[in-house]
Amino acid sequence: MSSSRNNGLCVKELEVEYKSGELALGRVDFTLPEYGIYTILGPSGSGKSTLLRAVSGLLPEYRGELLFNGQSLREQDVLIGLVPQNYGLLPWKTVKSNIRVAMKIANPKGQDRRSQEAQIDRWLSAMGIQELADRYPLSLSGGQQQRVAIARAFAIMPSILLLDEPFSALDAITREVLQQLFLEHWQANPATALFVTHDVDEAILLGQKIIVLPSSKSEAPEIMDNGAVFGLEHGEKRASDAFFDQIKRIRKVMQEKW
Amino acid sequence: MNKRRQLNYILRLLLVFLGMHAVWYVAYLLVHHPMLPSPLDVYQAMGHLGGRDIVLNVGYSLMRIFAGVLLALIVGLLIGLLMGRSALWNKLLDPVVYLTYPVPKIALLPVVMLFFGLGETSKILMIMLILLFQVIISVRDGVKAIPANTYDVLTSIGAGPGQKFWHVTLPGALSVILSTIRISLGTAISVLFFTEIYGTEHGMGFFIMDAWLRLDYPQMYAGILLFSLVGFVLFLLVDLLDYRFMKWRK
Repeated sequence: MSSSRNNGLCVKELEVEYKSGELALGRVDFTLPEYGIYTILGPSGSGKSTLLRAVSGLLPEYRGELLFNGQSLREQDVLIGLVPQNYGLLPWKTVKSNIRVAMKIANPKGQDRRSQEAQIDRWLSAMGIQELADRYPLSLSGGQQQRVAIARAFAIMPSILLLDEPFSALDAITREVLQQLFLEHWQANPATALFVTHDVDEAILLGQKIIVLPSSKSEAPEIMDNGAVFGLEHGEKRASDAFFDQIKRIRKVMQEKW
Repeated sequence: MNKRRQLNYILRLLLVFLGMHAVWYVAYLLVHHPMLPSPLDVYQAMGHLGGRDIVLNVGYSLMRIFAGVLLALIVGLLIGLLMGRSALWNKLLDPVVYLTYPVPKIALLPVVMLFFGLGETSKILMIMLILLFQVIISVRDGVKAIPANTYDVLTSIGAGPGQKFWHVTLPGALSVILSTIRISLGTAISVLFFTEIYGTEHGMGFFIMDAWLRLDYPQMYAGILLFSLVGFVLFLLVDLLDYRFMKWRK
């Protein structure tokens, strides 16, 4: 049982089928160490979101195994923070109460009210949105809503953090600001994280490894080491040689597999 | 800015109110017959009514409507939710709702009276019947209209069915529920009038019919005005709920 000694999220021979019997996600195999972050890159329809939904427990049926710290993910109480592409905020609740509800559900016995409120305020100011605390999501811009969603995901202090193309609906500048903001806070509050994206730059900027899903479900995904870029300061990544080398390598994989 | 708009709105309402009275007064001059008293006489008659009388009659009417609406909401919410969340129940209950919806509920008044007597039960039940089917259908459609992924984040952190209902389903369906109540409230008030004709000595319907039979026309019109006031207050209440719970809709 070598896998039981593996700490972190272990995805073993995971396969997901649509009701029609067609594959939604071809076989995926990887182990993400605890407190590590991998990015998943793939064309639309390659099963990126399906993979995240399986890990987050939103899919009732899949084949293969999902282990966390050696035990089945479903049979233990692992807290999962999900940041969906559409931000997943409840429109009828204010920014603050969106975060409060998530904290209460995630941690029902939890802290007393005052330390909970302090926690919410801390995360709102960490994301630079204290002044939006009492606004409703529909009155916010996409970037602001995504800040709220990230604040919420961090505030429940999850063991696993799943991000499903969180920045893809945002403009380039907002996206870069939020990438950096996210990475900073992930480094300060590490959680085992999977980050799905269809943006090559983003995949290289944020992942320790990059899992490239092929467009054909019968091919195996390509797992690429990204340590050379990940080790750099975030601000220097884009201009580095390692970044450009990585782009070239990924483009080559994409040409073959997409 | 906002305050000015509000003031403007209230001013317009007042203008319409006065305008209607002007038309009434002209009609009174033209008809010149006791069956249409002047507005002044009617308000005088209203003044003669004791405060206790008004409170008692208005109170009874309001109580019946509240009870009926509440009952319809509770039952309708349960059935509507069941149909909105489960395809099986929707399949089973849809034909039932479809077949019973077009039955004019007011025609069931004699049946309800036969089964439940002349007392409060049959009155409240009638109001409930009028509202129930509309509540069921709108809750079902409201619940179905909530995108499935609205539940995702709460599901992934382990929310139970009760928490999902309270934080997602209910607030998501609330706007449809409120507009249904607004629409069917008018019908409910008319039905209330019918049910208050029999088996009671309180309520606006009784009051109006009683004045009519005594040929006390000013008082009859006073009753109609008060009855309208009851309806107006109810509409205001729904508006208030809408304002309180629908703030999030930009």
